[in-house]
Amino acid sequence: MRQPSFEWTRGPAIPVVSVLFALVLGGLFVWISGHDPITAYAALLRGAFGSPYDISETLLIAVPLLLTGLSVAVAFRAGLFNIGAQGQLLVGAVAAGWVGAQWPDLPAIVLLPLTLLAGILGGAVYGGIAGWLKAARGVNEVITTIMQNYTIVFVMHWLLQNGPMQAPNAFGTPASAPIGAGAVLPVIVPDFLVPSSRLHAGVLLALLATVAFWFLLWRTSLGYELRAVGLGMRAAAQAGIDPRKRMVIVMAIAGGFAGLAGMIQVSGLFHRVYDGFSAGFGFDAIAVALLGKNAPLGVVLSALLFAAFSRGGTLMQSDAGISSHLVEIVEALVLFVIAAETVVRAVARRWGTPVKAVS
Amino acid sequence: MALETPIVEMRGISKRFGELQALADVDLTVHRGDIHALVGENGAGKTTLMNILYGLYRADAGTTRIRGNEARIAGPRDAIHLGIGMIHQHFMLVPPLTVAENVVLGDERGGPLLDRRGIEARVSELEARFGIRADPSAKIEDVPFGVQQRVEILKVLYRGSEILIFDEPTAVLTPQEVDDLFQIVRTLRGEGKTVILITHKLREVMAVSDHVTVLREGRNAAQLVTTRTTPAQIAVAMVGRELREIAARSGTPGDVVLEVSGLTAPSDRGGPALKGIDLGVRAGEIVGLAGVGGNGQSELAQCILGLRDASAGVIRVGGVDVAHDDPHRTRRRGVAYVPEDRRVEGLVLPFSVAENFILGKQDRAPYARRGILRADAIRREGARLATEFDVRPADPDIEVGSLSGGNQQKVVLGRELSESPKLIVANQPTRGLDIAATEYVHERLLDQRSRGCAILLISSELDEIRDLSDRIAVMFEGRILAVLPASEATEDRLGLLMAGHVEAVGERSGTSPA
Ligand SMILES: Nc1ncnc2c1ncn2[C@@H]1O[C@H](COP(=O)(O)OP(=O)(O)OP(=O)(O)O)[C@@H](O)[C@H]1O
Ligand SMILES: [Mg+2]
Repeated sequence: MRQPSFEWTRGPAIPVVSVLFALVLGGLFVWISGHDPITAYAALLRGAFGSPYDISETLLIAVPLLLTGLSVAVAFRAGLFNIGAQGQLLVGAVAAGWVGAQWPDLPAIVLLPLTLLAGILGGAVYGGIAGWLKAARGVNEVITTIMQNYTIVFVMHWLLQNGPMQAPNAFGTPASAPIGAGAVLPVIVPDFLVPSSRLHAGVLLALLATVAFWFLLWRTSLGYELRAVGLGMRAAAQAGIDPRKRMVIVMAIAGGFAGLAGMIQVSGLFHRVYDGFSAGFGFDAIAVALLGKNAPLGVVLSALLFAAFSRGGTLMQSDAGISSHLVEIVEALVLFVIAAETVVRAVARRWGTPVKAVS
Repeated sequence: MALETPIVEMRGISKRFGELQALADVDLTVHRGDIHALVGENGAGKTTLMNILYGLYRADAGTTRIRGNEARIAGPRDAIHLGIGMIHQHFMLVPPLTVAENVVLGDERGGPLLDRRGIEARVSELEARFGIRADPSAKIEDVPFGVQQRVEILKVLYRGSEILIFDEPTAVLTPQEVDDLFQIVRTLRGEGKTVILITHKLREVMAVSDHVTVLREGRNAAQLVTTRTTPAQIAVAMVGRELREIAARSGTPGDVVLEVSGLTAPSDRGGPALKGIDLGVRAGEIVGLAGVGGNGQSELAQCILGLRDASAGVIRVGGVDVAHDDPHRTRRRGVAYVPEDRRVEGLVLPFSVAENFILGKQDRAPYARRGILRADAIRREGARLATEFDVRPADPDIEVGSLSGGNQQKVVLGRELSESPKLIVANQPTRGLDIAATEYVHERLLDQRSRGCAILLISSELDEIRDLSDRIAVMFEGRILAVLPASEATEDRLGLLMAGHVEAVGERSGTSPA
C-alpha cells in the first residue's frame, strides 16, 4: 500500500519548482513595473505571517480552501472533474444556516452536530446529483457542476430576498436570520494569545476532514475502489467494481467536503447566510488540488500557500503600494506551470530514468 | 562474411531501474541482412535492450556502434536517422485515418498538404517491393490486427529504415497471420534489410532466424547460429535448466457448469457480434474456443461476465441464469476471468502488485474487515502470490506498470487462478508469457480442471488449444461452426473451420452444445 503523503514527498519537486518559478517570474513583473521585488515579497510575507493575528487570519482563509480543495481532489482520484465545489459549498451553507436559524434555542450539544450534518448532507446531495446524472445519463460532470454553481446562486437570491429564508428586518444586503448561539463554532485562540482573533474551531474540523480524506482513500475498501476506478476504469469494471455507482458516491463525498466548508463559513465566521456569500472558491479549489497533487499533505500545504497569497496580497497593496493583481499573476503562473507538467516530465525523461513502463 | 562490420554492435550495455539491474554488461552483434532472434524469459531485458537501441532509454554504461561508427542515440529521432525502426507491440495508429495516411503520418519530408493519390501510389509501391498486402485506402479501424501490423511495418520502411526491430510481433496474430508476417520478414531480408525479432516461441525462432541471442536475468546467456542449434538447447540457455514435458491428462467431465444457448449480442460498432451461440462447459472439462481473432470470442467472454448486454439468449452458470447480472454478481457466483488485454482490462497499472492481486476482493476477508483494508494481510498475500506465480521481481510493493509484459500477465493469472472458481473464462491467458511461465499456467489450468473447475479457454494458439482442451469449439463470424472432441481436431481441420469451411466438420461429430 502506498502512502499518500509519501506520494507527494516522492514527487514534490514539480510543485515546488513551479511555485518557485512562478514567484521568480512574478518578481520580474514587479521589477518591470518599476518596483522592488524583494520589498514586494517581504510585504506579502509580512502580511500573511507577520504577527500572530496575521497568521490566524491566514489560517481562517485556508480553511475553506483546504476543504474545497479536498472536494476537488477526492473526485479527481476517481477520475472525475468537480468544478462544482463552489455550488456545493453554498448549498452546505444554506442548509447549515437554515438549521441553525430554525431552532436557535437548542443547546450546542444538539444544534452544532445538527448544523454540521445539514451542511455536509446539503453539499453531498448537490454533488451526488451531478454524479447520478453522469452515471445514469452520461452527462459530463463538468457541465452539470458548472450549471449547478449558477443554479444555487439564483436559488439564494430568491431564498434571501423574498423567500422563506429572508430575515424579518434585514437592511442592505439580503441575508438570513442569524443562527442560534448553539450553532456557532467557538473561537479557539484565547484573547491573551492573539487579541481579537477570529480563528474558530472550523480549523480543527478541516484538519479532521483531511485525516478522513486520507483514511477513506488509502485505508478503506471504498477508497480503494474509487482509486481503482480513477486509474483503471475498465479493469475495475471487469473485477466487479461498478464505476457508475462509485461515481455517484464520490461526487456525494466531494460535495460533503465542500458542504462542510459552507457550514464552517456560516457557523464560524458570518453566523448567517448572505446573498453573494463566499464566492470564488471553486476555481481556487481546483488550483489547490492540482498543486497539492490530490494528496492530503499536498492539499494542506497548497491551501496554506494560496491563503497566504490572498491575505499577503491585500497587505502588500496597502503597505508597499504594489497592486494585489501581482498575486493573481503569480497564482496563474503556478497553475500554468502545473498544467505544463507533462512538458517538465518529458524533459525529465530525457535526463533520467523514464516514468513510463514498456512491456 | 564474418569479417564484415556488423550493422549493430552493442557492447557492455548496462541499465538499472532503481534497485533492479535490468541489464548487466550485455553484448549484441547483428549482421546486415540477417534475421536475428532475441529471446529470453519474461523480464530478461529484451524490451529494455531494444528501447536503448531505439533511443527510448539511455544506457548507464556501454557503447552502441551502427555500421562500425559509434552512435549516440538520444531519442527515436536519432534512431530513425540512423535507419533504425521499431514496430511496437502496442500499435500506434490513428484509427479513422486510412492505411496510406497512417504510413506517412509524422514523416517530416511530407509537405503540409496531403496529396492523397501521390501517397497511395508511393505506399502501393512499397507494398509491391516488400510483398506486403494492405489496401492503402482502407481505414485502420476496419482492418484486422495482422493488417494493422503491416501498416506499422510500412510506416517504418517508409522512413527508410534499414534495421527493423519487432517486439513480440506474433503475440497478437493468428497462425495464418504469423505465416504471412514471416513471409514479409524473409522478403525484407531478401531486400537487404536487417531484422531483430523478439519472441517467446522457439518454433518461430527455428523457422525464420539466422542467429539467436539469448538473455537471462539481464545477462548474455548464449549467442547461437540457428542452423547449428536445437530448440532444447535454446530453452536450456533461456531457463538455465531442462524443461519438463506436461503430461497430457484428460478430464473427467461432470455436470454442466456453463450453459449458453441462443446467445445474440451486438458488437461495439453496431451490428451483431454473436449470432446465436450454443455452448456448454462441464465441471472438470476444458473447452477450447478456437478462431481467428475478432470473430466474437471476446464478446462471448464479456457476455458471460456481464460486461456486455446480450440482446437475446440464456447464460447459465451452475443452473442460474446470469445473463442480466453485472460482473460483481457473476464473479460472486464463482466465475473467474482472464481478460484479453491485460494493460487495459486486467490491471490497474499505477497500482502495486499487491493492490492488483486484491482487485475485486478488496471488500472481503482477509483483505478487509468492515470496510477497512488490512494492509498487512494484503502485503502478505501479495508476497505469497508473487512468489508462487514467479512474478519477477517478487516485490509486492512494486508498481505493476513497471513490470515486463509477461510478469504483468502473471499478476492477472495469480489473481484469477489462486482461488477455487467454478468456472474460468480465460481469454489468451498465456499471451506474452515465456516458455516456463506458459508451462506453469497450463499446469495451473489443468490442476483447476482436476479440481472440478469448468474452463472456457479462448486462444489464438492452436497448439495451446489442442494440448489442453477436452473439446474444441471453432468460432467464425459470431457463430460456433463445430464442436469437436480433441482427438478429432487435427490442425488442418481446425484451420479449415477457422476460415469458415463448414464442410470440414465431418460425419461423426455433431455441433451439439454439451
Ligand atoms: N520503466 C521501468 N521501471 C522500472 N523497472 C523496469 C522498467 N522497465 C523495465 N523494468 C524492469 O526491467 C526488467 C526487464 O524488463 P523488460 O521489459 O526489458 O523485459 P522483457 O525481457 O522484455 O520481458 P517480457 O518478455 O516479459 O516482455 C524487468 O524486471 C522489469 O520489471
Ligand atoms: Mg518485453
